[in-house]
Amino acid sequence: MSRLEACELVIDVPGRGDGRALTLSLEPGQVWGVLGPNGAGKTTLLHTLAGLRAPRRGTVRLDGEPLAALSRRRVARALGLVFQERHDGFPATVRETALIGRHPWLSPWQMEGGEDVQLAEAALARLDVAHLGERLVNTLSGGERQRLAIATVLTQGPAIWLADEPTNHLDLHHQTAVMALLAEQAAEGRAVLMCLHDLNLAARWCDRVLLLYPDGEACWGPRDTMLVPSVLERLYGQRLATTTVDGAPVFVPVR
Amino acid sequence: MHIVRHALGVTGSHRGLGRPIGVLALAALAALTLAVGIGSVAVSPGELWAVATGQGEPLSRTLVLELRLPRALSAFATGGLLALAGALMQVLLRNPLADPYVLGLSGGAAVGALAAMLAGLGGALITGSAFAGALLSTLLVFGLAHGTGSWTPARLLLTGVVVAAGWGAVVTLMLAVSPVERLPGMLYWLMGDLAYARSPLLPSMLLVGVCLLAIPLGRSLNVLARGALQAAALGVAVRPLEWTIYLAASALTAMAVTTAGSIGFVGLVVPHMLRLVLGNDQRLILPACALAGGTLLVLADTLARTIIAPEQLPVGVITALLGVPTFLYLLYRSR
Amino acid sequence: MMSRRFLIALALSLLPMAASSAYAEVCATDDAEREVCLPAPAERIAALSPGATELVYAAGAGDKVVAVVDYSDYPPEAREVPKVGSHTRLDMERLAALRPALVIGWVTGNPPEQLETVESLGVPVFYLEPRSFEGVASAIERLGELAGTREVARREAARFRDGMAEIHERYADRSSVRVFYQVWDEPLMTINDEHLIGKVLSACGGVNVFGDLDRLVPRIDDASVLAADPEAILAGGMGEENRQWLTHWEQYPSLTALRRDNLFFVPPSLIQRPTPRLLEGSRLFCEKLEKARAHR
Repeated sequence: MSRLEACELVIDVPGRGDGRALTLSLEPGQVWGVLGPNGAGKTTLLHTLAGLRAPRRGTVRLDGEPLAALSRRRVARALGLVFQERHDGFPATVRETALIGRHPWLSPWQMEGGEDVQLAEAALARLDVAHLGERLVNTLSGGERQRLAIATVLTQGPAIWLADEPTNHLDLHHQTAVMALLAEQAAEGRAVLMCLHDLNLAARWCDRVLLLYPDGEACWGPRDTMLVPSVLERLYGQRLATTTVDGAPVFVPVR
Repeated sequence: MHIVRHALGVTGSHRGLGRPIGVLALAALAALTLAVGIGSVAVSPGELWAVATGQGEPLSRTLVLELRLPRALSAFATGGLLALAGALMQVLLRNPLADPYVLGLSGGAAVGALAAMLAGLGGALITGSAFAGALLSTLLVFGLAHGTGSWTPARLLLTGVVVAAGWGAVVTLMLAVSPVERLPGMLYWLMGDLAYARSPLLPSMLLVGVCLLAIPLGRSLNVLARGALQAAALGVAVRPLEWTIYLAASALTAMAVTTAGSIGFVGLVVPHMLRLVLGNDQRLILPACALAGGTLLVLADTLARTIIAPEQLPVGVITALLGVPTFLYLLYRSR
Repeated sequence: MMSRRFLIALALSLLPMAASSAYAEVCATDDAEREVCLPAPAERIAALSPGATELVYAAGAGDKVVAVVDYSDYPPEAREVPKVGSHTRLDMERLAALRPALVIGWVTGNPPEQLETVESLGVPVFYLEPRSFEGVASAIERLGELAGTREVARREAARFRDGMAEIHERYADRSSVRVFYQVWDEPLMTINDEHLIGKVLSACGGVNVFGDLDRLVPRIDDASVLAADPEAILAGGMGEENRQWLTHWEQYPSLTALRRDNLFFVPPSLIQRPTPRLLEGSRLFCEKLEKARAHR
């Protein structure tokens, strides 16, 4: 299993001060939730951690090696990304889309084999989209496409998941199913870091939390020390009411 | 659309790649046979067979071996090059409306060729100059689109369109100031026609070479078609791959333009049609483009030189007349 | 079956040898400065421009023309000869099937690639592009040489030379007339002194008001015509009559040419090709200029 470390990392958000440099380690078995208002840099942080954007300062290390020094292929075998937005200029079927998750594992001359197809089919079934296998991606609903994106990363099978709003567009049942899947991945020894808008999902499913402020300030730590109503009210600029349901805190915005 | 897909044996991306290629290869062979068999002067099937087996009358041998065959092979290679270049450009720009000429390649080639003609050079020097012009245009567009900021397909496209407009102006200027005795040669070059094609050897070699290159790159191209970020996340070294595609597509287009001038529609319509029928697996689409593009141009050129013979039509007219309705029909039938 | 065909082929391939023993080799230099030699005078000639067709007929070899291109309408017999496409796009198959022994190419009119293909098939190409009266006369003589009609060609060339010389002589001392020759109306185009039509003009004692321009066929505008204020305006064009080209100038009453009623139409077919018909065309031109002199 792999670990991902940020060392004195300052993400590059144009026109913003450095704020606080991040030094943290994403360990096998951990589930991190990144919280913050719009424009705090959650997606930028995720892309920087994946090596898709250069940081302003500091380094990201995968198993001790700087990400920038590794080939994209090596990185892609360890790191999987669930993107928030998806482009499809060209039509492709659901099954083809899930199968591209196998790309980092195949040599240039190799075709996808039966094993790869089985992995993709299993992932599609797990995300409840197997019945859509022959459908063109651009004909799917938002929630179906979100589940397909997660199934693609599941097919990829990375040791570290970086997920940008994985519950976007999902109904309540599928929200829970996806969070359970990510928790299961962590329980099997993988590491998960996700950006979330829903405080209550973070409170229920994450064990670590990173709070990002629009000015670049940040704090992070175990869930229970971070999810304090006064801190969260300052983070979002929004008054909250708190209660407890099913053993987890629940935050509700009030007028 | 599914019915067509099933008929060609393409139900998933991972199997049945061979069958559509086989069908297209047979079609290509049939088109080449037709092109060699018919012309404005009739050669009987028996006589054709005699020529094929190394006999036959001298006139039939001249018609078939020295006029029809090289021209058919040039047409095939040119069509294949254009369709392949179009497919690559479309993946590079993530835009199904891109064609081989969209980034100013044919404009650069035209300026190169006309400059050579103005300087009074001939033959191979014109071809070489056209090729250099196309590559210069390639580097200019890519360098400018790179600029100081970030590189995006939209920026590349816009740069290419503007540079193409610039080349257009230079071509007009050159035509306006050139001495009248050089004018006809320049106009022929700009018209684009297989009647003026020379040896099919170089374009054929390039076509085969890029098809072979496309096999190991195919899956990476599939991933790139989903966007640069997604491709990088799945382990594709995006920038080197984009450079490779761009240079390959440029070389293909430059070769096609220097073989037969700029011929429209093949590069835009053929990849599109194939995607509608075969899906979007580049490992299938790219070789299929080479075969289908070649077949289309061979058929179009055969029509162009026979339909109202002895009058000879420019082949671009035929590619448009064949390509546009077929394309619109497929688009209408697809979901 | 095969053996009979072989015998015919053998007989055909021996024919030129038999012929070459009967005739001597003929040579001539073409307008691309290349010496073209044939083992025997050409019995089958393909003329790839309307002008070349006229010249071959003028050289007395009309009965040997086996292929022409579109618009080869003079002499009228030329219309009956098989066509091999237009001069810009030749039907190579028909051309090859007509088995010409000599192809008359047009230096700047035919696609060079196609003429190269003709040569690669073993058919000699004689490039033609006369740019002067003497060029026309010598083209007739050179074609006569290659077609084995030397005597007819010499007579025709002499008739043309003498005719032109007579025109030069007759108009050499006439007062000069400042002329604008209109090639086309949209865009407005004329010719300079290098052009054959320009040379016709000066032979008749005309002075081309745009003769000094650099380009052979310059594009101009109405204003430069008004500024030059020619004494006569001659219009050619595509068809046989283009009166509206001349009425265009009637909107400018200040034009000397208009005031003196010197707007003339000349049928372009007589002067647009470098052929012996230039003689007739020149006479017509000179008559118009004479009229202009009479209107003073």
